[in-house]
Amino acid sequence: MAFLEYLSDPSTQRELISQTLDHIYLTAVPVAIAVVLGLGLGILAHRSPQLRSPILSVVSTLLTIPSLALFAIMIPIIGIGAGPAIVALTLYALLPIVRNTVSGLFSVDNAVIESAKGMGMSATKRLWKIELPNAWPVMLAGIRVATLLTVGIAAIAALVGGPGLGQEIFTGIRRIPASGSLESLLGGTLFIILLAVLFDLLYLAIGRVTIPRGIRE
Amino acid sequence: MSDVTNSDTTSHLGEAAEPGETMIELQELTKRFPGQEAPAVDRLSLKIPKGEIVVFVGPSGCGKTTSLKMINRIIEPSSGHIIIDNEDVTTIDPNQLRRRIGYVIQQIGLFPHMRIGDNVATVPNLLGWDKERTRERVDELLDVVGLDPRTYRERFPRELSGGQRQRVGVARALAADPPVLLMDEPFGAIDPITRNRLQNEFLRLQGELQKTIAFVTHDIDEAIKMGDRIAILQEGAKLAQFATPEEILTNPANEFVQDFVGTGATLKRLKLTRVREVELTDDALTGREDEDRETLRRRLAESDWTAMLLLDREERPIRWLRTPDLRQQQRPLTEAGLPARAIVEPQATLSDALEEMLLGSAGVAIVTDGRGRFQGLLDVDDIILAIQTMRDTEAEFYRAAKLSDPDDEVSA
Repeated sequence: MAFLEYLSDPSTQRELISQTLDHIYLTAVPVAIAVVLGLGLGILAHRSPQLRSPILSVVSTLLTIPSLALFAIMIPIIGIGAGPAIVALTLYALLPIVRNTVSGLFSVDNAVIESAKGMGMSATKRLWKIELPNAWPVMLAGIRVATLLTVGIAAIAALVGGPGLGQEIFTGIRRIPASGSLESLLGGTLFIILLAVLFDLLYLAIGRVTIPRGIRE
Repeated sequence: MSDVTNSDTTSHLGEAAEPGETMIELQELTKRFPGQEAPAVDRLSLKIPKGEIVVFVGPSGCGKTTSLKMINRIIEPSSGHIIIDNEDVTTIDPNQLRRRIGYVIQQIGLFPHMRIGDNVATVPNLLGWDKERTRERVDELLDVVGLDPRTYRERFPRELSGGQRQRVGVARALAADPPVLLMDEPFGAIDPITRNRLQNEFLRLQGELQKTIAFVTHDIDEAIKMGDRIAILQEGAKLAQFATPEEILTNPANEFVQDFVGTGATLKRLKLTRVREVELTDDALTGREDEDRETLRRRLAESDWTAMLLLDREERPIRWLRTPDLRQQQRPLTEAGLPARAIVEPQATLSDALEEMLLGSAGVAIVTDGRGRFQGLLDVDDIILAIQTMRDTEAEFYRAAKLSDPDDEVSA
């Protein structure tokens, strides 16, 4: 069981844990930026019928660019390292967030909005007190998808010198067929999967806390 | 206003025939939607007297809802003016305006993420009331609409039935005690039995609150039941007739109104008279559940009644008892005889009472007050008598009205 030996080696453990922390950073930062941008763009797209289709087409197109190419494009612009990776990952994370923000806001019952309006709530108050809380479950689902997507794509950031578990995977790939190469590849992958599961559980908890009880499934 | 219009045929007509102060006035109100040639509402002018329910009724697409929604400017009018309580509100801040107008819509639109108490507190919160005052008001209103605050305050809308949600909708609209209420098919999405009950409760409430209400429905029966006045609208919100329910039934202004009102006008008139307006049999023989069987039996034997109505300690009717039921000893009195069916409240219409009698296979309806306490009996003969009187007085009334004053509102 070469893989178990690989995992029980203290230096490997240190390496994997440090890469996992980098990977969390590489996921959390782009997602956080994408949440801020994405909610803004989503609210804008919901409000303005003129801007809706341009915004949605741009963020959809971004996701169709192969990740390898997008990372490569970033090198001449920003250089190598975590910077270009964060920019590229932010762009990828936008689509699910923007799209779910828009559809979440559209899913709020018209009667609910009309009655809020009829009681004299201003547009801003309606957005914060009525529309966003009711759209939140759908929006949160978008943020969750964006996070899982980012965890996966972040591995490729290692190609542009980015940190994270991608380094372990590419170390393995480069050394094939040398001994230990398969273990590195599997080790990196396993930790990415574990990280994805952890993020998923985190979102479950966030949902529990933040989704108002009256609309929880 | 001539003397004739003041003559009191039924109290319902008497109240409505003399409009008091105007609360809402629509002046040449017009709405054109972009891309539509004909205006949805074309120069509608109408006065709604203070404390009355005016029902906008008409076929779908006649512009009744658009007209209503222009009053709180959910739909902004293209031209014309809205005057509320002598103030032109056509151009004031719509949010300020709306906080003074209660708004109830068919789909209710409770905020699903908020508890019932917070839903009701919406407008008080917008107006910046302090917590204590808001809380008291919320509890008071839930009580008013018949929902126990302790049970319902902390619940969420989805935990309530359709009828209960509609009650909350009404409570929410009344929260800041607005003088004006707009109701857009408020009982439209509710099953017929609950609807009837909610209508009656609402009328009782209105008797106390005396709000000025604009009410939209497509159902002429509902219009007749709820309205002090009815505005029958044709396409483009053209006013086909604006009059009391009595006059619309007796004296439709044109063929459109006649068609819309439909057949069965006599039966519909049963909906105009309320149980409280007819004389009840109030000397009915009653007994209380805590009385002795033998006392009850003797009282029944000495009367000319064949059955006695058993009341509980709160004076609520529970059973009909005959002599044999009082003789037997095996079953407790509360299970003997027949259950007291066909119970109506004073604000129910004669039509409701008749229906209850038919449903309960009873020849008599039991009338109770708001708390369920026994008030009297109403039997089929009383209803027939009421129909006859109604017809006679109405015929006389309109004959007189036409002779004395052709320009009077009644024939306008």
